[in-house]
Amino acid sequence: MTDVAFPRVSENDPDAEGVLATWFAGDGDRVGEGDLIAEVAVDKVDVEVPAPAAGVLRLLVQEGEVVKQGEPIARIE
Amino acid sequence: MTLTDASASSATPTTRKLTTAKAMVEAIAQEMERDDDVFVLGEDVGAYGGIFSSTTGLLDRFGPKRVIDTPISETAFIGAAVGAAVEGLRPIVELMFVDFFGVCMDQIYNHMAKIHFESGGNVKVPLVLTTAVGGGYSDGAQHSQCLWGTFAHLPGMKVVVPSNPADAKGLMTAAVRDDNPVVYLFHKGVMGLPWMAKNRRSVGPVPEGEHVVPIGKANVVRPGSDVTVVTLSLSVHHALDVAEELAPQGVDCEVVDLRSLVPLDTDTILESVGRTGRLLVVDEDYLSFGLSGEIIARVAERDPGLLRAPAARVAVPDVPIPYARPLEYAVLPTPDRIRRAVLDLVGA
Repeated sequence: MTDVAFPRVSENDPDAEGVLATWFAGDGDRVGEGDLIAEVAVDKVDVEVPAPAAGVLRLLVQEGEVVKQGEPIARIE
Repeated sequence: MTLTDASASSATPTTRKLTTAKAMVEAIAQEMERDDDVFVLGEDVGAYGGIFSSTTGLLDRFGPKRVIDTPISETAFIGAAVGAAVEGLRPIVELMFVDFFGVCMDQIYNHMAKIHFESGGNVKVPLVLTTAVGGGYSDGAQHSQCLWGTFAHLPGMKVVVPSNPADAKGLMTAAVRDDNPVVYLFHKGVMGLPWMAKNRRSVGPVPEGEHVVPIGKANVVRPGSDVTVVTLSLSVHHALDVAEELAPQGVDCEVVDLRSLVPLDTDTILESVGRTGRLLVVDEDYLSFGLSGEIIARVAERDPGLLRAPAARVAVPDVPIPYARPLEYAVLPTPDRIRRAVLDLVGA
């Protein structure tokens, strides 16, 4: 099992937050390593989140939710 | 069709989804890989990645010789693209907002669109002119127009308008490979941008390898028996939403996504209207002297007997797009206006 963390987008502010903008794969979907699974937005910067491993995706946050960088947004089983 | 619909009980196989913007970029990148003559130029297409993310990542991948940020002179850089195309390259040139066409129209309709004709067919202009269109986000009268009818009115260029990620990729591939100038108009509201209003239909499955959607072929995106809704771009999404909403009430809408204005797939429209007997055209361009009238004229010319009720249209009335949100939404072809027009047509 692999956690998928909200990307680190700020070096200076460890508590930086952003929004889970788009899920490109759904809960229970099978994903391959490197597949685009999400896009997050921090201020006006968008960052893509690739799958760190292959497996079945379990979403931990919904689109539109505010998340602190480094916190888990999904698990891959 | 979507992954989430099928994933209730067990894991589904890998199917890759993209936003419309990412699908467009993927098509451009694949064509640049395939053909060294393909290159991109325009305002903010390089380091910024396109203000509507239509060229994100291309500069890093292909470098500044093939992804060129230009100064703010549309007539100069579109003219440069026309010259490059005439000399055998295959430029993709972005006009940031279609509303700015006024400062470069001579290059577009007197040069890009006419060189093939005026050279007696000896000189080709294989150019793709991409441009952002559409309103709904309070950007005012000079940044919210569609204007595809204006380009379609002038002979000499193909005009394509994708509504979804897969078509955005397929039409871009076809446009780059076409030896004619192609105007490729993408609505900001279908791009799937995180900072625009959320739109579930702007993210969808996209074939990973080569994907070509032929220019000039409409797509029946929802079959139905009561009313034919002929539309394009973001209005396809609204029409599908209305069709889903009215289905339980017993009103069955067929939704035709034109995808191309030039050439226009008249046969698909006639075939559909022949079955339903009722025609509604939904167009985010201005009402008069444009696409909606053209569609109805083509049906009337070929067979006016197909229509059981007078044809109807929902378009932007002949006023500039207002900035104020309530006024803007009063003129846009909203789901509410589409629903009322459909119900009027079926006499419900």
